[in-house]
Amino acid sequence: MQFDDKVPIYLQIKRVIYQEMVTGQLKAGEQLPAVRQLALNLTVNVNTVQRALSEMITEGVLTSKRGKGNFVTEDQQRIGALKTQLVRAQLSSFYQALRALNLSDEEIITSVQHYVQRRGSQDDGHVND
Amino acid sequence: MTAMLTIKNLKYSRNQRKILHDVQLTLDSGKIVGLLGENGAGKTTLMRLITGNAKGNGTITINGVHTPVQRKAHVSFTDHLNGFSTGQKINQIKHFYELVYPDFDGQRYQELATFLGLDGQQKLAALSKGTREKLIIALTLSRQVDLYLLDEPFSGIDSMSRKKIINSIIKWLPETATLVVSDHYVAEIAPILDEIVVIKDQTVLVHRATDDIRDATNMDIETYYEHLYEGGTDHD
Repeated sequence: MQFDDKVPIYLQIKRVIYQEMVTGQLKAGEQLPAVRQLALNLTVNVNTVQRALSEMITEGVLTSKRGKGNFVTEDQQRIGALKTQLVRAQLSSFYQALRALNLSDEEIITSVQHYVQRRGSQDDGHVND
Repeated sequence: MTAMLTIKNLKYSRNQRKILHDVQLTLDSGKIVGLLGENGAGKTTLMRLITGNAKGNGTITINGVHTPVQRKAHVSFTDHLNGFSTGQKINQIKHFYELVYPDFDGQRYQELATFLGLDGQQKLAALSKGTREKLIIALTLSRQVDLYLLDEPFSGIDSMSRKKIINSIIKWLPETATLVVSDHYVAEIAPILDEIVVIKDQTVLVHRATDDIRDATNMDIETYYEHLYEGGTDHD
């Protein structure tokens, strides 16, 4: 996995795991690989993985079972809230970028609609952009 | 967090030339530390001072012990296989390590050698740069010590070998041990480093956590490192 070396690695590890939880690659209640295995999979430092997981345990999206390892929360609502949070973060930076181009709220909505419609028709064929 | 390596007021000169001076450094256990600096900055010298292969002025303490003889039992460093003749086979070198170091773990060596694809029958002279570095990694990590030193294991080797070596470090470095790995090009190992130590102007210029650098400066580690050279005059 390629990391952006300008961004703290533990934050990027958290994002990878969030993504897998929200998309269902990691299911509610599922056990995560051992810390060292995760470090190998991601080619990062074991301590950095540990830091990311510790924060996610504090946040309540992971639970740690003594002697057994780390598990995705079984609380579906918590995962739902995580998804909302991730979507909101994306929308927020997207919204700010368009506002910075002096688009009004209405113009933003209209251009998003246009974009999605065009995108939708292109998706039938092959999109490459 | 406990200090595993403490260096105080370390000074080293060779042929009346100052190589290192006023070196103060404390490393905690369980860390992977990048030792950075230009060619000739004194990275290898610092490693030889830590192991006791070179003698300087000042104190070096590894897990509470000071004397070079005691320190050697706590630190694993393979000085570029310099002492071995080129006709020796990998297995002979491994056998030598088993004889000399009571903490050498033959089982661990076999695992590492298999993972890295080392052929025990090959002679030292026949090894490519990458394979030679892999052998050094296998030998170094097979000892059970508190501190491991690797001197530029990635210089001049292909990316597949590099990846193998990085993975073997992640896989086999004991949790409580500290690894110091030197390099003059940090980008290739930045994701696995907890901290960097930069040697410049014959001393330790910077000792900082990598995620702290990313967080505080928004720079990647390579750029941050290069900035230390461009802005060099600021530090005088």
